[in-house]
Amino acid sequence: MTLAVELAGIRLKNPLIAASGTFGYGVECQDLMDLSLLGGIVSKGLYLEPRDGCPTPRIVETPSGLLNAIGLQGVGVRAFVRDVLPALSRWDTRVFVNVCGDSVEEYAEVARIVDAAPGVAGVEINISCPNVKKGGIAFGGDPHMTHEVVSAVRKATRLPVIPKLSPNVADIGAFARVCEQAGADAVSCINTVLALAIDVETRRPRLAFGTGGLSGPAIRPIAVRMAWQAAREVRIPVIGVGGIASAADALEFLIAGCRAVQIGTANFATASPTSTQ
Amino acid sequence: MRRGMPVNRVVRLLRREPLSGDYFRLAFEHPEVATQGRAGQFVMIKAGVSAEPPLRRPFSLLGLEPERGAFTLLLKTVGPGTRALAAMQEGEPASCLGPLGSWFQPPPSGREPLLIAGGYGIAPFLLFSRDLRARDVVPRAFYGGRTGADLQLLDAFGALGVPLVAATEDGSLGARGYVTLPLEAYLDSHPSVALYACGPDALLHAVARIAARRGLPAQVSLDPWMGCGIGTCLGCVVRIQHAGDPRPRYKCACTEGPVFDAATVAWPGESGSLAGGGLAAP
Repeated sequence: MTLAVELAGIRLKNPLIAASGTFGYGVECQDLMDLSLLGGIVSKGLYLEPRDGCPTPRIVETPSGLLNAIGLQGVGVRAFVRDVLPALSRWDTRVFVNVCGDSVEEYAEVARIVDAAPGVAGVEINISCPNVKKGGIAFGGDPHMTHEVVSAVRKATRLPVIPKLSPNVADIGAFARVCEQAGADAVSCINTVLALAIDVETRRPRLAFGTGGLSGPAIRPIAVRMAWQAAREVRIPVIGVGGIASAADALEFLIAGCRAVQIGTANFATASPTSTQ
Repeated sequence: MRRGMPVNRVVRLLRREPLSGDYFRLAFEHPEVATQGRAGQFVMIKAGVSAEPPLRRPFSLLGLEPERGAFTLLLKTVGPGTRALAAMQEGEPASCLGPLGSWFQPPPSGREPLLIAGGYGIAPFLLFSRDLRARDVVPRAFYGGRTGADLQLLDAFGALGVPLVAATEDGSLGARGYVTLPLEAYLDSHPSVALYACGPDALLHAVARIAARRGLPAQVSLDPWMGCGIGTCLGCVVRIQHAGDPRPRYKCACTEGPVFDAATVAWPGESGSLAGGGLAAP
């Protein structure tokens, strides 16, 4: 029996992918697990230039969940291509690059740089980060902007293009359709759920940014529902993401119609997306 | 596996010792931590092997028992993760990654090491005291807490021959007030020392200010919220500015710390903070 799946014209040895923002650039984990066990990994979100990210505190645990406002701290796409991609080449897994931008042009430029780099299987478009003031959810919450960003990235690369959708919309199926029409090869559903935790002693938000994105088992039923809604609306594959911490959790998404799944928050407590809790 | 690399394991609880107040000493089996851990390093650990709670917690290494392949940690129950650890029975499993992070460097020769701890910040200093004693260096401990029940392991420091000055905010044990008061008094007559601090941020910041004012070397062990322990979540970053850096940069406390040269830490509220600091509207 094979666990291999075909996704946007590329073959994954299995449907397990490490989700963006939960696995660094992959190299941080290579001493702790055999990366070749994974169907794929998605890099931390990358802009053209390095980014500092949000002030601290940036994370807080909530019931069955993790609330974060990291703010896309990163080394920039050129440093990733120069320093990280060569180190990942010794592993037999698919590397997807999560591309970010403050503008449509920046998304396209990052995608062009990724396109020219060896060893990249596809581009995931970050139009759903809730923790940045420009880009992110500002694009993914507006169907016209979503169309513009996905079209621009589509023109900038021959690689498979996979927008990562936000759950913070009324009808995720409509956004999946917009992505399909703009030339996307698949969609990832979902990014984190916009949320707020308050310290009752100080009466202040527990994260320095204020609001954050909620992940972990707390959001899994939301994610399964939204991935299912998206899968009913489009012919392109849907990648399910949200609170997966066991094989049974992953099966929920596959039964809901997903082609593959991403493991996110669970990586923090296991250092390995293949370990079943 | 390279020596000193962190190893991910399901570990068993070997011993559970309730201490005073909300404190426990727990011993877990983990051969790599037991044989390769260093004073100041830490483990990420959570009770059980289920998805709850979602995150492991960081704990300084309290003691190493290489012959048993075990390490100990000092636990104070403060929330759901620490309460679940305190409720474990001997033989039950936990999810553990270690050894992690940087460690305390011995003092420049001729300088007396002063170990300044607040609350559960005492944890790494027992192991560090053993290491120093093995080098024929005798440290001196300054240990503060809110009340006497917060001060742990006093006998253990006594057994190592480490003089210890206690201070409590309510005066129930040792001097009344913050531990920095007896520390400053000692420094007035003992200028050739090196400072080491572990505890609440306010204490670490106070020790850093004292070190800067008196021109003393100081190492501090920071304890921010930590998600992964290996530099992937970027949740535990602290602002670090090395000599020559134009401004502070966010560094992971888990991989580049938790022990930092106090002079490189850009403390909250001091100049040179990163743009975007403070509360921002989403």
